[in-house]
Amino acid sequence: MTPPAGHGSRDQDSTARRLPRGYLLAQIWRFVRPHQRLLWFGLALLFLNVGARLGQPWLMKTAIDDFLLDEEQTGFVWLLVGYLGLAVVEWLGRRGQLLALERAGQSTLLDLRIEVFRHLQRLPMRFFDRTPVGRLVGRATTDIEALQELFSSGLVTVLGDIVFLAVAVGILVSLDLELALASLASVPVFLAATIFVRRFARKAYTELRTRLSQMNADLHEQVSGMEVVQLFGQEEQSAHRFSDSNQGLRSAQLRSVRWESVLSALTEMIASITTAVVLWVGGRSVLGLDGDEVLSIGTLYAFVDYMRQMFVPLTDLSLRYTVFQNGMIAGDRIFGLLKEEPESPDPAEPAVSEGAGVVEFDAVGFGYDPSRPVLSGFNLRVAPGERVALVGATGAGKSTVLNLLTRLYEIDSGAIRLDGADIREMARQDLRRRVGVVTQDVFLFSGSILDNIRLARPDTSDEEAIRAAEELGLGEIVKRFPNGYYEPVAERGRNLSAGERQLIAFARVLVAQPDVIALDEATSNVDAETESILQRALHRVMANRTSLVIAHRLATVREADRIVVIGGGEVLETGRHEDLVQAGGAYAELDRLR
Amino acid sequence: MSSGSGLRSPLLWRLCARRRGVYAFGALLVIAAVALRLTVPTLLGEAIDELRSGLSSRSDNAYDDLVAIAWGMVGAAALGALFRTGSRLTILGNSRRVVHDLREELFAHLLRLPPSFYVRHRTGTVMSRCVNDVQNVQGLTGPVFLYLVETTILYVVGLTFMLWTNPLLTVVGVAPFPVFLWFARRLAARVQHVSRELQSQLGSVSAKLDESLTGQRVIRGLALEDRDRAAFEEEARIYRARALELANARSLLTPSMVFLGGLSSLLVLIVGGPMVSRGELEVGDLLKFFGYLAILAGPTGTLGFVLSSMQRGAAALERIDELMAMPVTIREAEGAEADRVKGGRLEVRGLDFAFPPIRSVPHLSDAEVDVDHPGAEHGREVLRDVSFTLEAGQTLGVVGATGAGKTTLIRALSRQLEIERGQVFVDGTDLCDLAFEELRQQVAVVPQDAFLFSRTLAENVAFGAPGSSTEVVNEAVRIAHLSQDLDALPHGLETLVGERGVQLSGGQRQRASIARAVLLEPAILLLDDALSAVDNETADRILLALEPLMKDRTTILVAHRVRTVARADHILVLDDGRVVESGGHSELLKRGGTYAAMWHKQEEGVA
Repeated sequence: MTPPAGHGSRDQDSTARRLPRGYLLAQIWRFVRPHQRLLWFGLALLFLNVGARLGQPWLMKTAIDDFLLDEEQTGFVWLLVGYLGLAVVEWLGRRGQLLALERAGQSTLLDLRIEVFRHLQRLPMRFFDRTPVGRLVGRATTDIEALQELFSSGLVTVLGDIVFLAVAVGILVSLDLELALASLASVPVFLAATIFVRRFARKAYTELRTRLSQMNADLHEQVSGMEVVQLFGQEEQSAHRFSDSNQGLRSAQLRSVRWESVLSALTEMIASITTAVVLWVGGRSVLGLDGDEVLSIGTLYAFVDYMRQMFVPLTDLSLRYTVFQNGMIAGDRIFGLLKEEPESPDPAEPAVSEGAGVVEFDAVGFGYDPSRPVLSGFNLRVAPGERVALVGATGAGKSTVLNLLTRLYEIDSGAIRLDGADIREMARQDLRRRVGVVTQDVFLFSGSILDNIRLARPDTSDEEAIRAAEELGLGEIVKRFPNGYYEPVAERGRNLSAGERQLIAFARVLVAQPDVIALDEATSNVDAETESILQRALHRVMANRTSLVIAHRLATVREADRIVVIGGGEVLETGRHEDLVQAGGAYAELDRLR
Repeated sequence: MSSGSGLRSPLLWRLCARRRGVYAFGALLVIAAVALRLTVPTLLGEAIDELRSGLSSRSDNAYDDLVAIAWGMVGAAALGALFRTGSRLTILGNSRRVVHDLREELFAHLLRLPPSFYVRHRTGTVMSRCVNDVQNVQGLTGPVFLYLVETTILYVVGLTFMLWTNPLLTVVGVAPFPVFLWFARRLAARVQHVSRELQSQLGSVSAKLDESLTGQRVIRGLALEDRDRAAFEEEARIYRARALELANARSLLTPSMVFLGGLSSLLVLIVGGPMVSRGELEVGDLLKFFGYLAILAGPTGTLGFVLSSMQRGAAALERIDELMAMPVTIREAEGAEADRVKGGRLEVRGLDFAFPPIRSVPHLSDAEVDVDHPGAEHGREVLRDVSFTLEAGQTLGVVGATGAGKTTLIRALSRQLEIERGQVFVDGTDLCDLAFEELRQQVAVVPQDAFLFSRTLAENVAFGAPGSSTEVVNEAVRIAHLSQDLDALPHGLETLVGERGVQLSGGQRQRASIARAVLLEPAILLLDDALSAVDNETADRILLALEPLMKDRTTILVAHRVRTVARADHILVLDDGRVVESGGHSELLKRGGTYAAMWHKQEEGVA
C-alpha cells in the first residue's frame, strides 16, 4: 500500500502555529549574526546618507539669504563645492548602503535556505506523506522572499526613515517653532488619509488577486479539459462561465484602479497644500507682520524644501508595517518547519552488516497511521540469492514491506535484520547501499541519461556505466537521441517512455551492485517488444541477488523461487506458482482474477 | 522577436479603437494635470518675489497678494489632484476593459480550436499566453501608455514654462538630462534583464527543491542526500549571486537619478546665482527652476523602465497574435439539418488518416514536441483504408497494440479530427454534414483519460446536458455502476470531486465518465479503452451492466484487453492502422491469427 499522500492536511497552512515574536527574532538573529559586520557597515552608510540629504536644503537656505539676497560674494564658490560634496556623499551613501544591506540579507537567506533543505532531508518520510510538496517548496522560495523583503526594505530602512524625520523636525523647530507646528500639522492629515485610502486599496488588491488566480485556475482547467468540453458540445456554457469570471475580474480591477489613482495624487496634493500653509504662516513673519521675530526668505524656502522631502519617508513608513507583518508570517512558517522533529540520528557506532544478503522480518508490526496497522506480526526470511515474489490485493502492504526494509519508515514493533544486523543499528546510508530499490515510477534527475544510470556511484567511469546499460539493451533506445547516453533527461524524464525509464532504473542497479534488491514491478502498458526487453533485463538484474519483487506480471511470478502471498497484514501462503494454484487458496483466487 | 510588428497588431488596434475616445479624453486630463502640477513651483517663485518686493517697498498689500497666491496654490493642488486621479482612472481603467475584451476573444478562439491543436500543445504553453502575455499587454495599454503620454506632455509643457521664465537657465538646467537618460535607459535594461534572470533562477531553485522532495524516496533509497544537497546549494548560491548583481544595478540607478536632480539644481545655481546678484534675474524665477527640474527628473529616471515594458508588451502581443492566428479547422456544415440520426447505423468507407509532421502544421513557436505523441517529428500514417459497417444497435470491439490507431479511429468517428480521405455515414448522412448539436448528443464518447472538472459529481455527470433532473442523473449513475460508491462519498452526488477528480479513485472517475456519456442517451456510444483504469473484476461488472444499454445503441468498444471485447457482435483487429482481422470472438479464435495470439498471451500468460 502506498501511503496516503497529503490527505487531511489541506488547511494546515491557515492553522500554522504562531511562534512567539521574541523567539522568532532570536532565530532570525541567529542567522544574521555571522553577517553582522556588513549590517553595521550598511547602517553607518545609511546615517551618512541621511546627513547628506538633510544638509542640502540648509545650504540652499544659506545661498538664498547670504548670497542671492545679500551682496556678499566671497565664499559662494565654497558653498557650491559643499553642495556638490553633499550630493556625492549622498550618492555614495545610498549606493553603499543598498549594496551592504543586500549582501548581508542575501547571505543570511542563503544560510537559511540551506538549513531548510538540510532539515527537510532529515525529516521522516511520514512528514512528506502529510505535507504536499508544493507547500514545502513555498517555504524555501516565497516565504524566504518575504523575509528578504524584511531585510532589504524593512527594519534597517525604518531606522533610517525615523532618524531622517526626527532630525528634520528638530531642524524645523529650531528654525521657527510656530511655523514648524503649522507646517507639521499636515503630517497627521497625510498619514490618516494615506492609511485610509491604502486600506481600501489593499482590500481591492487582495480581491483582485483572488479573482485573478481563480480565473486562471478555471482557465487552466478548461484548457486541460477542452477535449471533454468540445466532445459534449459545451462551448457556449464554458464561454459563459469564463465571461462571468472575466467580468468579475474586470470589476475588481476597476475598483483597485480607483484607489490606486487616488493614492497616486494624494501625496503631491498634500505636499503642495503644505507649501501654501508655509507661505501663509511664514509670509507674515517674513513681512514682519508678527512683530517681534523676522523670518528670512531663505528659511521660508528651507521649510518648503524640508517638508517636501519628509513625505517620502512618511509614505515608506506607512508601508513598512505590511512588510513587517508579512515577514513575521513567513518567519512563523519557516521556523515552524525547522522545529519539526527530525528522524532519529544514526547510532554513534553503527553495526556493520556483511554477508550474502539474508533478509529477515521478525514479527514486524507497522501502520502509516498507528491506529490502522498495515502489517502485524509479519514474518519472512529470504535466503541469500533467493528470488521472492510478493503478491496480494491492492492495499495488502506489499510496498510497505519494501519501504520498511530500506527504513524509509520506522517499524512499530518487531525487527528487521540484514545478514543478522538489526537495520536500526545500522547507518541508514550503509543500509541503502546494500539494498537497491527500484520503484514503479522511476525518478529521473536533471542531467544526462548516463548520469542517471550511475546515480548511486557517481565515480563510475563512462565505459563501465555504458557497459551496464548495453547489457540491458539500452543501446537501441539511446540511438534515437543525437547525444546518445549524454542526452539530457527532460523534466521528469518526459523524453523517455515508461519502458525506457524502467530500463534506466535497472541499469542503475547494475551499476550500484547492491546485495539485495527491492523492486516494485511497473504496471504500465508497454508494447510486446519492450515487454520482452524488460523481462530479460529484470532477469539479469536479479541474477545472483537476494530479491524481493512486487510482481505484477505472470512471467515474473512464475520465475520466482518462492511466492509470498500477503493479506491481512501477514503472510498468507508461500510456495511456487503451480503448487499454490493447486492448493486453491488466496493465491488461486488472485490468479483467477488476473 | 522584433517589437515593432507586435505594436502593429491589428487585434490590439481593433480593441483599442473601440475605446479611442476614452484614451483621447484621458490624454486631455493628463495635459491639465501636468500644467497644474507645474503651476505650483511657478506660484512659489511668484510668492518669494512678492515677499522680496514687499520687504523692500514696505507696501501693505504684499501680504494680501501672498495670501491670494497661496490660495491659488491650494486650488492648483486640488484641481491637479483631481485631474491626475481622473487621468489614471480613465487610462488605466480603459486598459483593464481592453484586456477584458482581449481575454474574451482569446477564450472564444480557444473553444473553437480543434483537438489536434491541444494534442500538439501543452496546457502550459497555452496558459502562458493567456496569463503572462495578457498581463504584459495590460501593462502596454495601461501604465506604459499613461507614462509615455505623461512624460511627453511633461517635457513639452515643462520646457515651455522654463523657456518662458529664462531660456539660458533652461539650457543649463536640462543639460545633464540627455546623459542621464542614456544612462538610465541602459541601466533599466540591465535591471530588467537581471531581474528576469533572478526570477528564472528562483524558478530553478524551486524546481530543484521540487525535484528533491518529489524524489525523496529515491534519494534516500540510493543514499544520495549529500550530493543532492550540494546541487541545491549550488542553485541557491547562483541565486544569491544574481540577487547581488541586481542590487548592484539598482544601487547605481536610483541614487544616480537623485544625483541628477541635485546636479541640475547646482548648475542652475552656479549660473543663476550671479545673475540674481547682478539683478538680471528675480530670485523667485531661480527658485522656480529648482521646482521644475525636480518634477522633470522623475520621469527621466523611469523612462528606461517604461521603454522596456513597452518592448515586453509588444513581444507579448506578437505571441497572442500567433495564438489567434491558429486556424479553426473543424467547422459546422452550413445548412445542416437536425434529426438526421435515427438508429445509429454506422458506415465507414476507406478511412485514411495521417498525422502530419508537427513542424509542417501551424503551431505556436514555443510548442514543445512530445515524444509520446504520434507524428511528433516525422508524421505518421495512423489509419489506412479502414472500412466497416455497423448496423444500428450492434456492438463493435476494436483491439490492437499501442499505436495501432484505435484512439484515432474513435476521434475520427466523433469528428475530433479533420477527415481528409474516406467517409463516415451515420444513418446515411455524412458525419461532416451533421449539425454540431445533434452530433454531440447522438455520438457520445468516453475518452481514455476520464477528465472531470472540479465541480460536483452531479454537475460532471450532467456535463453534456446541464440542468438535467436528479432522476436522469441518478439513472446514468446507476447504469455506470457508480451508485454503490455514492454512500462512501461525503456528500453523495453533491461531492466536489476536486481538481481533475482527485477525490475519486481511478475506477470511480472512469465510471463517472461513462455516466456522463450515458446521460445523453446517444444513438452511438464510443468507449475508448475506458476500462483500462479499473481492475478486471470491476471491468467485468461494468461491462455486464452496460450490456442492456449496448443492446439499444450502436457501441464501439476499444480495448487493450482482449477479454473486454469478447462478447461484442463483431471485432476488428487493428495493426499499424490497418484492419488485419475481423469477425466474431470464436471465429477469430479459431482462425489462430493475431487475435488468437493476443487472447492466449493475455488470458493464459504465455509470454
